[in-house]
Amino acid sequence: MAIIVNLDAVLHDRRMTLTDLADRIGIALANLSILKTGKAKAVRFSTLDAICAALECQPGDILAFDPNLAAADDGEEA
Amino acid sequence: MSRSAAPALAVSHGLLRALVALNLLAGLFILTLLVLSLVAAPFFVKAMGIAPGTLLLGGRLIMLFGLASIPLMHRLLTRLLAIVGTVGAGDPFVPLNAQRLRTCAWALLGLELLHLAVGAASAAGQIDVDWDFTPTGLLAVLLLFVLAQVFAQGARMRDDLEGTV
Repeated sequence: MAIIVNLDAVLHDRRMTLTDLADRIGIALANLSILKTGKAKAVRFSTLDAICAALECQPGDILAFDPNLAAADDGEEA
Repeated sequence: MSRSAAPALAVSHGLLRALVALNLLAGLFILTLLVLSLVAAPFFVKAMGIAPGTLLLGGRLIMLFGLASIPLMHRLLTRLLAIVGTVGAGDPFVPLNAQRLRTCAWALLGLELLHLAVGAASAAGQIDVDWDFTPTGLLAVLLLFVLAQVFAQGARMRDDLEGTV
């Protein structure tokens, strides 16, 4: 997977913990943890909406695409 | 799970377990009768109050069909029990349940065919076993096959949902 989750960095900038964020947006800490560690397979728009509203950021601040990782993935599949 | 579903599940579980035991007992009973009709035919004929000859042969045939239905019924009941178990565990939409439902459908189809065979044997041997044809069983077979497809699709959707935040 070439999608990188930068939630940790954004949280650090905002001086906020994952628990704070979980409390604020009403999503289980376990689920947010899955997102933060890049183990999530999919993100609901409603989750993204809540996170961006709470952290006052753009989806692009949290999610990024790494072409190098994409190339590595293709290599693995071939 | 809703609050009313939990007792219903417990009842289903208990009922199915009882039916599994009853089915095995019925099998044992039929087997005993069949063996008795073979090794002690005169006694069997007298005890059952039936006429010897074709009637005895027809009776044995019906017992044989009954005996064949026991493993099919066992399959059906144990698979159903396993499905109820997964519902209780909170995760019924697994590919294994689709497979179990398909097994149930085939087992029920087998039972329906045996039911038809019993009807044919009772008609041929002129034995009154209070047999009648109803399409309900065959409809249930269809329903089970469709339900198996529904579960297979549900399992795929469940898989998609896994890891969604």
